[in-house]
Amino acid sequence: MKNIPIEKIAAATPETVAQRIRGLSDRSIAWIFVAPTIFLLLAINIFPLIWTIWLSFTNSRVNRPNRDVEWVGLRNYERILSDSDIWNTMQATAHFLIWTIVLQVLIGFFLAFLINKKFRGNDLWTTIIVFPMMLSPAVVGNFWTFLYQPQIGLFNYVIAFFTGVDPASFSMIGDVNLAPWAIVIADTWMWTPFVMLICLAGLRSIPNSIYEAAECDRASKWRQFWTITIPMVLPFLMLAVLFRGIENFKMFDLVVQLTGGGPGNTTTLTSIDLKREAFEKWRTGYSSAYAVILFVTVFGLASIYVKALNKVKER
Amino acid sequence: MSFSITEPKKGTKWFAGVLVVGYALITIAPLLWIIATGFKSPTDSISYPPKVIFDPSLEGYVNLFTDRTRATDDMLEAKGEPQTWYEQIARDQGTIISGPSRYGERFLNSIIIGFGSTALCMVLGTAAAYAFSRFRVPLKDDLLFFILSTRMMPPIAVAIPIFLMFRNLGLNDTHLGMILLYTAVNLSLSVWLLKGFIDEIPVEYEEAALIDGYTRFQAFYKVVLPQAATGIASTAIFCLIFAWNEYAFAVLLTSGTAQTAPPFIPTIIGVGGKDWPAVAAGATIFLVPVMVFTILLRKHLLRGITFGAVRK
Amino acid sequence: MSDFINGLLRLRRGPWEMVASALIALGVVMLMQPFAITLYTYSFITTLTGTVMFIVVSHFPE
Repeated sequence: MKNIPIEKIAAATPETVAQRIRGLSDRSIAWIFVAPTIFLLLAINIFPLIWTIWLSFTNSRVNRPNRDVEWVGLRNYERILSDSDIWNTMQATAHFLIWTIVLQVLIGFFLAFLINKKFRGNDLWTTIIVFPMMLSPAVVGNFWTFLYQPQIGLFNYVIAFFTGVDPASFSMIGDVNLAPWAIVIADTWMWTPFVMLICLAGLRSIPNSIYEAAECDRASKWRQFWTITIPMVLPFLMLAVLFRGIENFKMFDLVVQLTGGGPGNTTTLTSIDLKREAFEKWRTGYSSAYAVILFVTVFGLASIYVKALNKVKER
Repeated sequence: MSFSITEPKKGTKWFAGVLVVGYALITIAPLLWIIATGFKSPTDSISYPPKVIFDPSLEGYVNLFTDRTRATDDMLEAKGEPQTWYEQIARDQGTIISGPSRYGERFLNSIIIGFGSTALCMVLGTAAAYAFSRFRVPLKDDLLFFILSTRMMPPIAVAIPIFLMFRNLGLNDTHLGMILLYTAVNLSLSVWLLKGFIDEIPVEYEEAALIDGYTRFQAFYKVVLPQAATGIASTAIFCLIFAWNEYAFAVLLTSGTAQTAPPFIPTIIGVGGKDWPAVAAGATIFLVPVMVFTILLRKHLLRGITFGAVRK
Repeated sequence: MSDFINGLLRLRRGPWEMVASALIALGVVMLMQPFAITLYTYSFITTLTGTVMFIVVSHFPE
């Protein structure tokens, strides 16, 4: 900070304004500072949210503006919650969610554990590993379709090279059985670094003295790992799992570019299904109810997430 | 380096290093492949086995920035000698350049919307973060949770009413609409991150300034802002990267004038069949700036992705 | 365990938040499980209850 004499500042500020500002209490300044943010969020987040809730009780269709909008009560919710197609969508999402989290936690934790061995140049390699998660999922997803091409794609070629299968004989995004795995692989490639970074922070937060004490007690490395490392990293891991869970529950961009929900409906995750209902079939009322169901689920998970966040903050 | 019993052995370090480097190489292979494909000719890009060594060509980049039509040999003859090097490249493929493609516009849109929303977001976010950090705001925890939860919302679910609202206000497919929307989405991140950074600045500095006769506003922008500069810069980069990468809102709410690059790049097709080198060239130009920013951000990455909860 | 029940009875934040979190988690599992469509039907109301409960109980004293 430069040392500016107070006279100069006073001279630079017109007196009336200066007096008026000086007169403001901290409380009113707090409100002036917070109000624009709250106002924008109310206008662009909360107002639309309330509108969605209202729409969800109607049979509105925005592509037919002349039709009367009728109040239908809970009918939209009843239909969605007894629709076995949407239930299937949820299971496709669950498959994606569970496998991406399992793979990312296993690989991410292992990588963090290795990086924490502090070999020379670990900073450089960590930065390189982190690249994928900062990129645009839609653009990356689009390019993965090229890697997944049978015959010409790099992915198929590498698999063929190591297993001897004909690279033209399988299509990761065209095959009903392989497509769910194609999106899991791409997402794991993209987001493992996220879990890795958080685990690394967890590992680095463990004070060395704990290990030194364990070493004095002649505890084996294996025992140290299970009684010190894992419990100490667990809150961080919880954070990573919850965040990836929320993100992948609402996954849209990567998968829509990669498979577009196909083949059939095998990779139609909930967000993709919702997009079709809302912006292709234009069933606005129905899809609003669908959206509210997703909202509430994400909101619930988010409150657990914030709790986990505060737990980590205390460390 | 001090030797302690907890320092890993040399062999362990080697082993860990080899595995991590191996993973890093696997993880950047697809990215290098994108960059390499951008410099291939269309035939090389779809050859089998995939070509690692190839004659570099700028066809992808020329095709990315131009619209071309297929021409017969007679028409090519009639056109005469090509005037520029890029026209030469187009001619070699048997096509004539009919005009610039829309990639340039889309890229410019990404820049306008990205920087516009980031700037707005930093102004609003810094003020709000300062207030949350220093003053007793009623219902502080609830407001902070509310701000964070807005970011967690599935974009497709929020998009329905926003689409209707923007249509009524005439904001659909406008730069202003997208800037406001991205600002609202990014505000949560910037408020949480900046609050963390400002919390770390000792209150004593401001108190000293206040005693010296500064007003609150002066203390804010003469004492707090300079100290929070690194924090503000890294938060800004995070907001910029998010706005840059965003796809769901962009694809639903823009179609022409304000469309950004992410919805546009997948729609690039060549003359007859998907033009992968052009797609790769478009992706390269779009992704490489983000990689550069990632290197700049590396010290603050962890804070950014955990909303400021984890500070190394 | 007795601490937990005691906390519930005295309307303390910690244990009640645990209950609400468990309810939300249960709702999410019910939403995505592949076993019975009845569970799926009642998943939303479970999550909603848990979420509303979480908002309320997070204002209980520590």
